[in-house]
Amino acid sequence: MLFKDQLSFVFQHMRKNKLRVTMTVLAAMIGCAFLIVLASVGFGLQATIKGEILNQEDITEINLWGDEPLTQEEMVDIEEIDHVNVVLTRNEISGSIRSTFEDREVESMGIAVNMEDQAKLPSTLSEGRLPENANEIAVGYHFARALLNDKDREIIEQKSKEAEEQGTWYDGLEEGYKGEILNKQVNVQFMDPETMEYLEQISTYTIVGILDEPDYEFQIDSSILFSDDLFLAQPNLVSYPATTIYVDTLDNVLPVLDQLRESNYQVYSPIEQVKELDLFFLIFKIGLIFIGTISILIASIGIFNTMTMAVTERTREIGVLKAIGASPNIIQRLFLMESAFIGLLGTALAVIVSYGLSYLINALLPSIVAFALSDENADMAGITFSIIPVSLVLIAGGISIFVAILSGWRPARKATKIEVIQALRQEL
Amino acid sequence: MITVQSLSHTFKIGKKGKEKKIEVLKNIDFQIQQGEIITIVGKSGSGKSTLLQTIAGFMKPDSGSIKVNNTEIANFNEKQSAAFRLDNFGFIFQNFQLLPNQNVFENVELPLKLKGVQASIRKHNVKIILEKVGLTDYADHYPNELSGGQQQRVSIARALITNPPIILADEPTGSLDSQTEKEILELIQQLNKIDNITFMIITHDEEVAQIADRKLRMHDGILLGDVKHVI
Repeated sequence: MLFKDQLSFVFQHMRKNKLRVTMTVLAAMIGCAFLIVLASVGFGLQATIKGEILNQEDITEINLWGDEPLTQEEMVDIEEIDHVNVVLTRNEISGSIRSTFEDREVESMGIAVNMEDQAKLPSTLSEGRLPENANEIAVGYHFARALLNDKDREIIEQKSKEAEEQGTWYDGLEEGYKGEILNKQVNVQFMDPETMEYLEQISTYTIVGILDEPDYEFQIDSSILFSDDLFLAQPNLVSYPATTIYVDTLDNVLPVLDQLRESNYQVYSPIEQVKELDLFFLIFKIGLIFIGTISILIASIGIFNTMTMAVTERTREIGVLKAIGASPNIIQRLFLMESAFIGLLGTALAVIVSYGLSYLINALLPSIVAFALSDENADMAGITFSIIPVSLVLIAGGISIFVAILSGWRPARKATKIEVIQALRQEL
Repeated sequence: MITVQSLSHTFKIGKKGKEKKIEVLKNIDFQIQQGEIITIVGKSGSGKSTLLQTIAGFMKPDSGSIKVNNTEIANFNEKQSAAFRLDNFGFIFQNFQLLPNQNVFENVELPLKLKGVQASIRKHNVKIILEKVGLTDYADHYPNELSGGQQQRVSIARALITNPPIILADEPTGSLDSQTEKEILELIQQLNKIDNITFMIITHDEEVAQIADRKLRMHDGILLGDVKHVI
């Protein structure tokens, strides 16, 4: 029997039982759509969280741990590893640093780096340039706003109180120095690492650069970036070195990590979080697909019933077909095609419905969540609740059609077992 | 053409353990020659329909041999039987056995579809056959829109569409009035004479049996007579 004729035979029967077939297709559709939408939440959350991690600027950075700072020899060895761009040691100065400018002052943390190495990295400055000598510094994005005088402090205290009464908080960034701080001089006092008191010695530095705005709104950066020549002028300062290895691309981070570990360095990269995250979400998604498959199995009971009824109703017809020479294989194939087509139709509709639902979820859920949290300003931008990748469509479609064929299997086998003589005796 | 030797079959009826055996075919021997019309007459329960069903491959005999053009078909499995039927046998049933949701054209072309014949060839062949059985104008009608005689003509057309050498007919006029019966029998005789088609007809009607070249009689599973007629 030609495939075309088999198809037309199947469609003819489906048309004959339109209502029953439609309801079965709907059941298959609901089952498959439930699976797709459920699993799409796993895909959506994974993409959101992974995106957050990958969007961090430090994603191509490898942090080096260890009690001892790197020797010059070790630095060179690491720099020679393929795909390593820069090895930069940041020396975090012990204790805070007091900077005064006009009648204002700010306490901040200080970091000293080798400016030649720093210059090899993509610029982290929003304005100005990197310090070139011991008397120059770059300051954090919020440094000027953190320079407060007594009046500012009073206003901040008052505004903080008001904010607290309203259940919020005030970060003080509306106060502070509002003028141009670049190329201005500030007086700096370091802390005695032993007594934790500010030293009397005052050094004057020129601000030549302002660092980039931090990634997150809640971060306030009022730090000071010194050239490591600082330690020549201030030999008594204590600092804590932290070495970061900068890799050229994201893809090369893991191979470099492996090489460093082979050389017994203790290293860590945020990319490893992604690896762990992928594993977690793989298990999570398998779990969701498993739960979703249960709904498809429930729908398959409908397909089984429909096909069993179809075989029972068409017993005489099957008898006639067999009598005039239809092989059992053809009979079985016709019924399997019918159940597969119900599954296929249900899946196709489910895919369309799922994409629609996914769009609605992503459009409406952020507002609903914000409303539920009673925070209209809740930052839901960048959060994707549901994503339906092609792989999910293929997996869900595969499961749905496979289960549909499986449901039709027993009725189809039953059809092949029908005895011609018994079937021909049946009345119309 | 068809050679049946020592064919026996027993039905088991009743519950397991208390089964009753009924011998429906007892050591049957006979031959049918190409181009013959042979009728098998007998009372209800004599085993004549069982004999036809066994030859058709609807059931396997307990023992014996059935050869069609020297091919032993008694031990065919279901798949082999189906393929053999499609190529060698046409069937005419007492209650026509047409598919109610398919029109005359579709009912007649069904065996060709099963054989995998292209639609254009099917259309041509069905047209010729419908002309032959006098139903050219009824191609689009559904079985419930036709008289008994017309339905039986559709059934005959379906049996003939693959040009089988043998037509097996089980009470072909059993559901028809005497006038229609006469017409159908004339059609069978005409097809036999013009196309040299072999007919094996099961009937309890002695008048129908008269069209045969040979009339065999069954009684309690035994084939009794083999009387040659000259029509």
